[in-house]
Amino acid sequence: MVETFTPAVCGSRLRQRLAIALFALAALVASAVLGATLGFFGSLVGTRPALIAAAALAFLAALREAGILRLPLPQSRRQVPERWQYELPLPLWSAGYGAGLGLGFLTFQPVATFWVACAAALALGKPAVAAGCFALYGAGRAFMAVWPRHREPSGPAAVERLVGRASFVPRANAIVLGLAVVLLAVAPAAGAAVTSLGRGFDPAAEGKTLARARMDSGTIKVLVAPPAPDPMDTVSPANAPALNGKYLAYQDDQGIKVIDWRNDTPVRELDGPYSQPALDYPLLAYIRDEGARERLVLVDISKPNLGEQAITSARSAADLGRPALRDGRLAWHRIGRGGSAIYVLNFATNDRRTIKRTNVWMEANPSVTSRRIVWVEHRPRGSYLRMKRFGSKHTKTLMHVSGRKTLLWTTALAGRTAYVTRWTPSTRKAVVLRVNF
Amino acid sequence: MPRPDGFLDAAARALSIRLASGMTRKSFLGRMGGAMLAATGGAAVAAAVRPEKSEAFHFCGHIWTTGSCLNPLGLPRIDKNGFPLRPSDGHRIDNLGRPVNSEGWAVDGSGNRLRSPDGEFLPRAPRTRLCEDWTNEHYKIGGVMQGAWYRCCNGQVRKLVDCCSHSRKRINGDASLTGYCFDGRRVFCVLYYDSGLKC
Repeated sequence: MVETFTPAVCGSRLRQRLAIALFALAALVASAVLGATLGFFGSLVGTRPALIAAAALAFLAALREAGILRLPLPQSRRQVPERWQYELPLPLWSAGYGAGLGLGFLTFQPVATFWVACAAALALGKPAVAAGCFALYGAGRAFMAVWPRHREPSGPAAVERLVGRASFVPRANAIVLGLAVVLLAVAPAAGAAVTSLGRGFDPAAEGKTLARARMDSGTIKVLVAPPAPDPMDTVSPANAPALNGKYLAYQDDQGIKVIDWRNDTPVRELDGPYSQPALDYPLLAYIRDEGARERLVLVDISKPNLGEQAITSARSAADLGRPALRDGRLAWHRIGRGGSAIYVLNFATNDRRTIKRTNVWMEANPSVTSRRIVWVEHRPRGSYLRMKRFGSKHTKTLMHVSGRKTLLWTTALAGRTAYVTRWTPSTRKAVVLRVNF
Repeated sequence: MPRPDGFLDAAARALSIRLASGMTRKSFLGRMGGAMLAATGGAAVAAAVRPEKSEAFHFCGHIWTTGSCLNPLGLPRIDKNGFPLRPSDGHRIDNLGRPVNSEGWAVDGSGNRLRSPDGEFLPRAPRTRLCEDWTNEHYKIGGVMQGAWYRCCNGQVRKLVDCCSHSRKRINGDASLTGYCFDGRRVFCVLYYDSGLKC
């Protein structure tokens, strides 16, 4: 590349600069697209298996670079086509060279690090972050087209000197790859980073604002924590919060109340045997206790006459739990002695879909956004926080707790952040966990 | 009674020692190989044939054959209708392995119903039959409880039950046997029911 981007080849110094700029831009874009693609596939595969694969690959690559193991690299042993310089206009061939080298796998790769980076991008499972990280690879390609000339008037001579020190590269590479193995091995749950947010249960999330219930001295209250510097709001006695923008729905001894939590002004009150509100203003879903049965109903609280719409019902021996309502979708669970299931109703299409049904495990406490659903699956060996994209067949496990003494319970979902209650019945200790995936 | 893989360990170790002793003094690598085989061979051979934790010869009356059906707590103890019981004491358990009362509510060691963080009772978890529900959900083989035989275990009559299907493979992954199944079915996995009758 250094020999290519000269005034002689490009036609003038100005055209040389243009060629280098286009080369750099194309390299950056191509590598970012590659990273985004790998990140996207990583999000489908699941980060844990991809992380294990990346760590294993980094380990093998480190051994290869250290000369301990002889491994062939999967690669194309080609260089960028020289004839492009003569056949294509300068903007096209310079950008083409940049894109070809930025993608990495189209040209010769002397070291294994590129493939480890691919595996790591896959393990990230986040297209945007992977694109950003992988763009650095394109930046490196562009840098190497400019840097030798910066140090020495003759670019080719600088490259020759660099090649003369090539024996140093595998050793440095082996050290870096060894560090990568360690970092990948200690990565917290492969991108599904779990953070404890302290005491509480029944989380409800809207953007960066999180509401939760908390038991204090025998009274349950609801805390709404907006992002700093806004102050926290507390409602007491209150339970089972549901959050939607400035609106907060909760249950108390009288029934369900909806308020503007920023100034504590009441919006609507529903007195009666109502519980477990889910709010997507002006729609409110809740459970109505009818004695022998419990019914999941949907109302429009902006209308004077509520006009209840029954969604489903179950005998009181079964459980409909805590519904979730967001972006035109209503999700709920049904747990009976013969099995359990998670359902989603899409209001736009009136399509009622079973997300998971089982005769064996306990599927419970779903939360939805326009794209995803999370819920908790209980098994004898522990509780699992599952996540599924609408339209995808693949179910991903975001986290799990082992054993029967502690279990995962209610959930909330906002973007790519899930919240879940971790509950230990014997100690009555409940904390809210944040899971970034 | 020693476990069969114990025999395998011992046999592999003996074979390793014989191999190692056949080497010349100069054959250092050969001796090293023998020593490594002695150290690892037994375990490797046993690992190849050792059943899963829930398989065979782990419960009285059933030795070294078809593995047990899926179950919450490691042993396929059932009540007379095929629902799961705690292996240690026969207490009812739900599908999550939690002890439950007669109505199916999860209870603690004192028999009090478990509650959720807000003080409400936890919902009942599913409690379904190990053969007809668990096995069929996991393996889609149309399993039914059919044949049975009896042994005396811990001073009481134990009924050992075959979960039968038309599958030619059993839960172990190899060919299934007819056992006590009928109507063309073969044993997929086994369960047991302690009758409480003295023997």
